[in-house]
Amino acid sequence: MEKYEIMLIISPELEKEEHEEVLGGLTSEIEKGNGSVDIILDWRRRRLAYEINKLQEGHYYLVYFTAQGSIIPELEHYFKVTDSIMRYMIVRATEQEFAAAIEKAEREAAKAREESEKKAAEEIANTETEVEETAEVESDAVQESSTTVEVEADEAQDDLAEEITKTEETEEMLKDEPVNEDK
Amino acid sequence: MRRDRGRKPKKKICSFCVDKVEAVDYKQYEKLKRFVTERGKVLPRRISGNCAGHQRQLTKAIKKARIMALLPFSME
Repeated sequence: MEKYEIMLIISPELEKEEHEEVLGGLTSEIEKGNGSVDIILDWRRRRLAYEINKLQEGHYYLVYFTAQGSIIPELEHYFKVTDSIMRYMIVRATEQEFAAAIEKAEREAAKAREESEKKAAEEIANTETEVEETAEVESDAVQESSTTVEVEADEAQDDLAEEITKTEETEEMLKDEPVNEDK
Repeated sequence: MRRDRGRKPKKKICSFCVDKVEAVDYKQYEKLKRFVTERGKVLPRRISGNCAGHQRQLTKAIKKARIMALLPFSME
């Protein structure tokens, strides 16, 4: 059994659920070959150094897994068949890299937990002081985001090549909003 | 003769050896950016001062990073 690292670039035009689907498919593919996925790191959206398929951005994922080397061709086949995967690279990972990745994931999880606790505490404090105002602002934000999602979904059904510039615009709007929601 | 004129060549130090890096990582592309020119070419050892082993690892890391669009193949 060897340790491997996969770096994936998935099309940023897809929704989060579709990303999960691709990663889920990859996980089941690895498990079919008697391997095990140790950890998946979300590297988020990054600007590409050069255009790939006329796209300027990509959503990066890092997958660390342990498996026999013989499943690598099967994984490569899965990557080639899946259209939403823009680029992939499978590399042998050293023990140190593996440990570092797992440690990083644990740190991030702890940080996220801390933040969500803090946010929850802040929200309680906010609701105590100014209940009505925050409620209005939040409902507005939700409406905005839902409309942009619809626009994007419609365009995805149309001819994609023609609509690329538009989708990029809506993407940028979409990109801004999740950041706000995180905070 | 030539050594007498001009400046004394400064002793170059491999920055990877200083940081005690064992394996150059293609994922840390921000660090790799220091070792490419404005056009995206790999900086030669004579300029960067890296040791031979780390320079070899570095070129491989840069090439991996290029494939994954973390670094450009070329820039204007």
